[in-house]
Amino acid sequence: MGRLFVINLEGKIYTCKYCRTHLALYEDIVSKTFHCRHGKAYLFNKVMNVSLGETEERLMMTGLHTVADIFCVGCGSIVGWKYETAHEKGQKYKEGKSVLERYKVSGPDGSNYWINNEAHVSGSDADDQQ
Amino acid sequence: MGGVEDEEPALKRMRLSSYNGSSSVECTVGSSSGLMARPLSAEGEDEVIGSTGIIKRREFVRIITKALYSLGYKKSGEHLEEESGIPLQSSVVNVFMQKILDGDWDESLATLNKIGLHDEGIVRAASFLILEQKFFELLDGDKVMDALKTLRTEITQHCVDSTRIRELTSCIVSPSGLNGLSRRELVRVRTRLKLLEELQKLIPPNVMVPEKRLERLVEIALIFQREACMFHNSLDKEISVYSDHHCGKTQIPSRTLQVDTNGGLSIKHKLCGHQKPVSSASWSPNGQELLTCGVEEAVRRWDVSTGKCLQVYEKNGPGLISCAWLPCGNYILSGLNDKSICMWELDGKEVESWKEEKTLKISDLEITGDGEHIISICKENVILLFNKETNDERFIEEDEIITSFCLSKDSRFLLINLLNQEIHLWNIGDLQLVRKYKSHKRARFVIRSCFGGFRQSFIASGSEDSQVYIWHRNSEDLVDVLPGHSGAVNCVSWNPANPHMLASASDDRTIRIWGLKCLNVKYPNAYSNGNHHSNGGELR
Repeated sequence: MGRLFVINLEGKIYTCKYCRTHLALYEDIVSKTFHCRHGKAYLFNKVMNVSLGETEERLMMTGLHTVADIFCVGCGSIVGWKYETAHEKGQKYKEGKSVLERYKVSGPDGSNYWINNEAHVSGSDADDQQ
Repeated sequence: MGGVEDEEPALKRMRLSSYNGSSSVECTVGSSSGLMARPLSAEGEDEVIGSTGIIKRREFVRIITKALYSLGYKKSGEHLEEESGIPLQSSVVNVFMQKILDGDWDESLATLNKIGLHDEGIVRAASFLILEQKFFELLDGDKVMDALKTLRTEITQHCVDSTRIRELTSCIVSPSGLNGLSRRELVRVRTRLKLLEELQKLIPPNVMVPEKRLERLVEIALIFQREACMFHNSLDKEISVYSDHHCGKTQIPSRTLQVDTNGGLSIKHKLCGHQKPVSSASWSPNGQELLTCGVEEAVRRWDVSTGKCLQVYEKNGPGLISCAWLPCGNYILSGLNDKSICMWELDGKEVESWKEEKTLKISDLEITGDGEHIISICKENVILLFNKETNDERFIEEDEIITSFCLSKDSRFLLINLLNQEIHLWNIGDLQLVRKYKSHKRARFVIRSCFGGFRQSFIASGSEDSQVYIWHRNSEDLVDVLPGHSGAVNCVSWNPANPHMLASASDDRTIRIWGLKCLNVKYPNAYSNGNHHSNGGELR
């Protein structure tokens, strides 16, 4: 494989669960109350070392958004999504920010998160109350 | 010099300002054959030639006449002046030039005033030059009193620059000059021809046609065509004046000549020793040694002919992440993963270390041709140009994250690859962004690009879509896209000695050599010598 271009972060880092590629910093967390199919998800200001998939319109819990899935550059596994456009005014704050699924990343202390089958949340998104 | 000295009084000469003004011009030609000039009504002031009507006939003929004289065809020049009725310059000017060459200073000053220059400043400046010449020639001939008189009476009249007057005065006062230098050495006397040249620069070009004007115009046109030619990749001697220069794509390498798979090219040496993946390889300035860098490990120096490792460079603690030769070939530089840069002598002795945010873990390292400036990525979107002699720092700041860069052969330009799939060309001298190149694909890997082709007029780059991209450097146009590889093309290298050969390396584990569709021109010494970057694996 070619030489991966990977940016190294400094501080409290969230990394890809599978290949440990740095993805985001703790200080960039905007909200911890997002959800996805696999449970908890965090909204970050900035996420690094990810490649973007195709943009598409998705109906999420808080309305219609234009999003693109993001994939870890190290191993290619899907780690979350990025908000390109929010169609409702109240959701505009999400634009340009990305969500990382807690299940897909290792926390700054190396901790992982396991899907809790009981807490089955239908649909992704959230954080209406700010 | 055209024309013949004219006896007729100056009044009858045409006023030179009339070259731009009045409708018809007088002209007398005193050639020996006594031909009358052609009726001039047909060659009015405003007559133009050429399809766009930009060229004035009279100007055009005059520069041709001047060119004929420069080429040594005096008779043809004179004949053209006769036949066209357009003299190269007025007789007054001819008289003036002759007087200068004869050293007839007072007469030449008088003639200068008769030329009819409107700008007082020019007349004064020209007079000053002439009088200076007179002054120096007098001094040279040891006629000190006369020189002094000239300085006092004539020069001070015309001169605006008091410092100059003081300098001239000091030439008289200290005959032996400073430090034992003779007067002549202090301020050398110009030859009269040189004086004429200086005067020509002052006097408006329509009065005295500048030297080599026609040649200059043709050169400008040819250079313009060459720069505009998107596919131009051949020697200058192939440019002809007879037709517009326009290369076809035939000069750009676009055909795979050779594919190296394991066992394809004959392997000369396998250089074993690195424990970690090798991120870059760099040829020594004399081409006999190779420097390789294991990521966050050590740098090794190898002898190319024997394949032996000559030296290992490493530090206790931080790992090395990049390597480069100093152009003199006596020192090695390397970036470390603690953000510092170190310099070693060839034998492994560390001589210098620069700390504090000089480089990043993923950064390349380059040295300019003068051996003074170190270039590396110091922040994710900033490149540092560090003068290691003066510790002076300059920065190139981008809006996007920088993945890799490449220095041009003349060390004047930097090609920067960005995260957002753009390649930016910067002029290092004035830190200006001059060009942008787009179209190739990059999402995950370090993709490298390089300069190449004749006069480095092309930019080539790898791409994650398995193709090689080639742009014309000046116009930013995409010239060609070369398919062939079956994996991401990580880096490209254009043969610096053979502008028709390109090499590319890919994730499909092959190296391809690209050449012309029809091979014609041979280039001696067509081996390449420069920086190569491999991506992981053993170094072969």
